Amino acid sequence: MENDHNDHQHCGDDSDHRHCLEMFNRLSEYLDNELDDITCREIEQHVEKCVPCFSCLQTLKQTVALCKQTTNKPVPKEFSRKLRELIQNIPKTTNP
Amino acid sequence: MTTAKNPNRKIIKDKDFELVQAIIAGQYDLFHDLVKRYEKKLYNFSLRMCWDPSDAEDLVQETFLNVVRYLKDFRHETKFKNWLYRIASSTCIKKRRKSKFAPERELSLEEFIPKNQAAAQVQVPDWAKMPLDKLLNEELAEMIHQAILSLPEKYRMVIVLRDIEDFSTGETAQILDLSESNVKVRLHRARLFLREKLKGYFEHGE
Repeated sequence: MENDHNDHQHCGDDSDHRHCLEMFNRLSEYLDNELDDITCREIEQHVEKCVPCFSCLQTLKQTVALCKQTTNKPVPKEFSRKLRELIQNIPKTTNP
Repeated sequence: MTTAKNPNRKIIKDKDFELVQAIIAGQYDLFHDLVKRYEKKLYNFSLRMCWDPSDAEDLVQETFLNVVRYLKDFRHETKFKNWLYRIASSTCIKKRRKSKFAPERELSLEEFIPKNQAAAQVQVPDWAKMPLDKLLNEELAEMIHQAILSLPEKYRMVIVLRDIEDFSTGETAQILDLSESNVKVRLHRARLFLREKLKGYFEHGE
């Protein structure tokens, strides 16, 4: 990744920190099923032991789920009418 | 399917194929069907890209005008919907460049990493465990909308295309002309940003 993350304090020693950050950086890819089996298992094993990463995974998962539930607003009728009028009046020269 | 000109060129026959072909062949009146099919989706995409609803309307209008202009060059090498969003996204980026907005800020991962053990969330908060139908209401939907709008544009585009419009990583990369790894980096940061906003909302009512 682009940055060092020396102040991440989830786990104990330096190598734990680095591993923790590596896992943290890949949580979205994990949620999107974009990782190979080995890395998936590595993340699963990590979050079993690291409570902050487990919590981060769950909150991130819920964030994505909420985003996906976002509903669409209706198009204002007046705008829709104007849009159709505009399309209707496009000169033939610019038609496809 | 292949063509005589380039036997290796693949044509994607999606749900819009026949309609688009008919328009290209000269049945211009059918363009209204294309507008009907996509105006709501494009309007909502634009609302998520622009602060001002009238700017969102301008963006939809300009996108459809560009579709009219360039449809004859569309070769069905991608789904029509993906091509349409590519036009919408580039129209949006061009509009932004012309405007007087301040340069975009970068989101760094460090912003989202707890600085010490006390700041790290040691338990899964209640809001992350609740069923979505119990959690979602109008106020939360509006809060999410505002949070998405407050993201820098380059992150906002990626999260809207991936998590709201449901394009894959590959499709999003193609629409925005980015590498897949770049899409993944931006998406992760955008999600972490939104997650922070949700945490603030549920824990402190911010």
